[in-house]
Formats: sequence, C-alpha cells, structure tokens
Amino acid sequence: MQFGVFSVGDVTEDPTTGVTPTEGERIKAMVAIALKAEEVGLDVFAQGEHHNPPFVPSSPTTQLGFIAAQTSKIILSTSTTLITTNDPVKIAEDYAMLQHLADGRVDLMMGRGNTGPVYPWFGQDIRNGIALAVENYALLRRLWREDVVDWEGKFRTPLQGFTATPRPLDGVPPFVWHGSIRSPEIAEQAAYYGDGFFHNNIFWPISHTKQMIELYRRRFEHYGHGAADQAIVGVGGQVFMRKNSQDAVREFRPYFDNAPVYGHGPSLEDFTRETPLTVGSPQEVIERTLSFREHFGDYQRQLFLMDHAGLPLKTVLEQLDILGEEVVPVLRKEFAALKPAHVPDAPTHASLKAAAERARQLETIDEPAVVAEPTAEESTR
Amino acid sequence: MNERVIAVVTAGLTTPSSSRLLADQLSAAVADELSGRGISSRIETIEVRDHAHDLTNNLLTGFPSAELREVLETVEAADALIVVSPTFSASYSGLFKMFFDVLDDQALAGKPVLLAATGGTERHSLVLDFALRPLFAYLKALPVPTGVYAASTDWGPNAAGLRPRITQAAGELVAALHHETPTKSDPFTNPTPFEDLLNS
Repeated sequence: MQFGVFSVGDVTEDPTTGVTPTEGERIKAMVAIALKAEEVGLDVFAQGEHHNPPFVPSSPTTQLGFIAAQTSKIILSTSTTLITTNDPVKIAEDYAMLQHLADGRVDLMMGRGNTGPVYPWFGQDIRNGIALAVENYALLRRLWREDVVDWEGKFRTPLQGFTATPRPLDGVPPFVWHGSIRSPEIAEQAAYYGDGFFHNNIFWPISHTKQMIELYRRRFEHYGHGAADQAIVGVGGQVFMRKNSQDAVREFRPYFDNAPVYGHGPSLEDFTRETPLTVGSPQEVIERTLSFREHFGDYQRQLFLMDHAGLPLKTVLEQLDILGEEVVPVLRKEFAALKPAHVPDAPTHASLKAAAERARQLETIDEPAVVAEPTAEESTR
Repeated sequence: MNERVIAVVTAGLTTPSSSRLLADQLSAAVADELSGRGISSRIETIEVRDHAHDLTNNLLTGFPSAELREVLETVEAADALIVVSPTFSASYSGLFKMFFDVLDDQALAGKPVLLAATGGTERHSLVLDFALRPLFAYLKALPVPTGVYAASTDWGPNAAGLRPRITQAAGELVAALHHETPTKSDPFTNPTPFEDLLNS
C-alpha cells in the first residue's frame, strides 16, 4: 500500500500569530514538505492545481519537476489535475515530460475543479464539467497511446496528424486516478478504463465516500478489469497529532475554527465525528485509518492532508515526522497483513512497463492479447 | 399499507409560536380528512428552529449532520408536505428558506404541498402567492390551490374565518395525494453507462 501527503497549496493566515506567508514562502514550503515526505519514508507527494488566490500552485509540473530533481524515490502526483479547463494536449505533453525527468515517478489524479469562475477564464462553462472531463480524458488517453492522432470533438479545435511530444517514458503512459467527491459519472469513468479512483474523504461523511467507492468497484468488475475487490482505490484523510490527544485538540482548534471551507461552521468535535478528520494521538490516527478498510475494502493508496489552514511549516514538518516514524510503519504492516494475495498494489511505472512488455511478448508468440492491469506480484510498492 | 405520511415543516421561532399553532391545526385537519376516507396517517412535525445550527453548518460544509440528514430524509420520503413560515420582511423567513436550500432540489418533485404562513397583519397575506408559491414551483412540488395565511386576528376575533380555509386546504391536499409521484432513478444503483456519456 502507498502512503503519502496531498497539498492544496492555500496561502492562509496563521490564526494564532496573524502571520500570512508570501506566495514565495508558501511555494518553497510545499517543496520542503515534499522533500520531508521522501525523507520520512512516504511513497507519494501530490499537489493541487489552482488558478485563483489564495492558492499558489497554478503550474504543477514546474513544481513537481523541481521536486523530482531533489528526490529519488517518492512518486509525484497531482490532487487534482484539472481535466476540464486544461487543454488535454498540454496535459499529455507536460506530464510525459515530467515522466522523463522523474524517471517514471509520476502519476496523475484527474479532477474537474469546483470553482465556477475558473471555467470561463479558460473558455469553458462549469455546466459542461462532466462532458469536458469525459471528452478531454478520452483525447488525453489517445495522445499518450497513439503516435499520430486525428481527432475531432466538441470542446477543442480538431487535430490532424498530431503527435504529442515527448512520447511517454518507455511507451508507458502515467497511471491515472480519477478523483470525485460526489459524481457517479466519474466513478463510472474510472471503472470503464480500469483506472484508479480516488475519494478525498475529507469534507464528507464516510457513508458518501463508501457509496462512490462501491459504485466504482462494481462497475470496474462490470467492465472486465478484474473482480470488484481488485479495483484500484485511493482515499484521503486529514489528521493532526500530538503525543497527548488533548494537546493535539488544543493546538489544532484555532486552525480548524478558521479554516477555509469548514471554518466558522461545525465544532471540531462535530466534524471529527461526522467526517474522517482525526485530531489526537498517533495511536488514534492509526486506529481511525485502519478502520477505513472496513468501509472501503482493501485499498491501494492513502494520502493525508497535513499542510493547510495556516499551519506553519515547522508544525507541518513535525507532523510529517510523526506520520513517517510512528504512524505509517504500523499502518503498512497492519494493512499488508490484512490484504489478500489477489488484491493488487497500485500500479507504478515499473509494474506498468513490465505488464506492457509481457503483453508484447504474448503478441509475438500468440494472438494479440488484451493488456491487463498488473497483478499483485508485478507491483513493486 | 394504507397509511399516509405527512411531513410538516414549521419555521416559527418562539414557543409557542403561531406558526406551530397553524401547523398543528392544518395537520389535524389533514389527518381528519384522511381518516374520513378510511386512510390512517402519520404526522412528522419538524421545527426548523431545532436544526438552525445544523442548517448553517450544512451550508458551510456541504453535507448535513447525521441528525439533519434524518430530517431531510423524512421530508423526502413523506407522501405530502405542509409548510408554515412566519412572514419576515415581506417574505418567508431566512431560516425557512435555508431548510429548502439544503434539501436536494429534486426531493419535492411531484409532491403535494400545502402552503401556509403567519404574520402580524392580514396585509401580508399575499406572501403565500408571491413568495412561497414560486419557491415550490421551482422545486417542482405540487402546491395545492388554497394556501392558508393566519394573521394575529385569526387567533382571536376572526378564528371562525380561519377554520373553513384550513378545511378547504386540507381537502385539497388529500385529493392531491392520488397523484402518482414520479419514481426517481438512483444514479448509484443505475449509473449512466460510460458509452452513453462518451457519445452524448
């Protein structure tokens, strides 16, 4: 199972000090968080993409490329890449480029973006959100898989004899997760292609997350990619930890009370009861996170939101130390012990490359074979 | 089998409130009308005030608390609805509107609704037709033709005048119950096949 962090990239005042980082400080803080994530043994760093203040990460591949140069193991991902308002041609090129620079340590999570005003800035309309996600992703897949593409659709100018450069590393497109909080169409899309499905699992009760994941698993099986329990599922989580539970609650409360999205609303106690937010000791975080499996089945990727709501970098790095030293090693062991052998790990570049090579060999020996997603033993992490 | 569930949403603020008083009289009249036709009824009365904080939280977080979710599901599952709002600044109250803002906008489609309001003076009585009726038209509910507005005087000297309006409206609501409510398809049970999404 993969463990990691995902960052929204908000620039928010620290409510306890009144200090707001500059954009530059926040961007560098995100880099420091990514490097720390690798240092403490996490598997994934994912970052959001936004085109409006108070968020800084408008250009994820620039930032992830910079991080790639300073890391060697961690997988770089997105949370999310805006499949609705970005040109799929540019996504295909940017992330193939990043793949080469990062030696394959790249995957993506597609999302639609829920900020209405962003769409018209990029010539789109939020009411077409689903249709854009469907059409743009269908094109993106072809751009990565076919060397020369002729294409015509509703939302972008047609392509004639177009080749996206560079071609994906080793001819293997990055693995794709589809993220959605509440749209069954996106779970359906992920299932149709046999891609991964990610639920951010932060702002909503666990019953909603469960409903989306169950739909994805059922349809994954329906489309013939494997059994429902072999579908590739990722979920988010949000934690704040101190050795003593009460200290964690006391320290985190002002950040919670003033947080973007849910601040000035429900109490910390209400929110931790209603959603997967866990504020307490490392042991409490371990127990809560292990309980996700009872709702979602054996899953492949767990990301935590650690750096938001104005938490200072120093605190976030301390949190990552606790996560990497005390929480993730236990979770890794416990989840692995529970996972049946037929449930695959999340695909990586290495496992996808091996699967593609095997498919090519089968093709030369036998009739053309359908490329299957990698099985458990092919996935390395 | 032969039981009808009537949800009553009342947004009075005081205890006792005239909105609740009107809500109780309306629901009693609807229960009488149903029993006259040999149909039993269950009345589920919801005081919006009890859920004021949860409603605000729902607007901020995007999801209802477990308690509020139960209330919203009760309204959605009911066979018919009685709604009562006090008149504030020439319209329904903000709290009343919040309840219908967080309710799924398809939840009331095809559902018979009895519109009612209270106020300090008769001069606000058109609040029923100029504020409540458009709201429930938007929600694709089926508001019955007679709405019931009760001003302060209707609880005193004019009480005899209120009674026939209540009876009339209750009769209309029960008559409307024979409408077939449209069955809704659950997108989690029956998702749109992806080929259809690709080709649409």
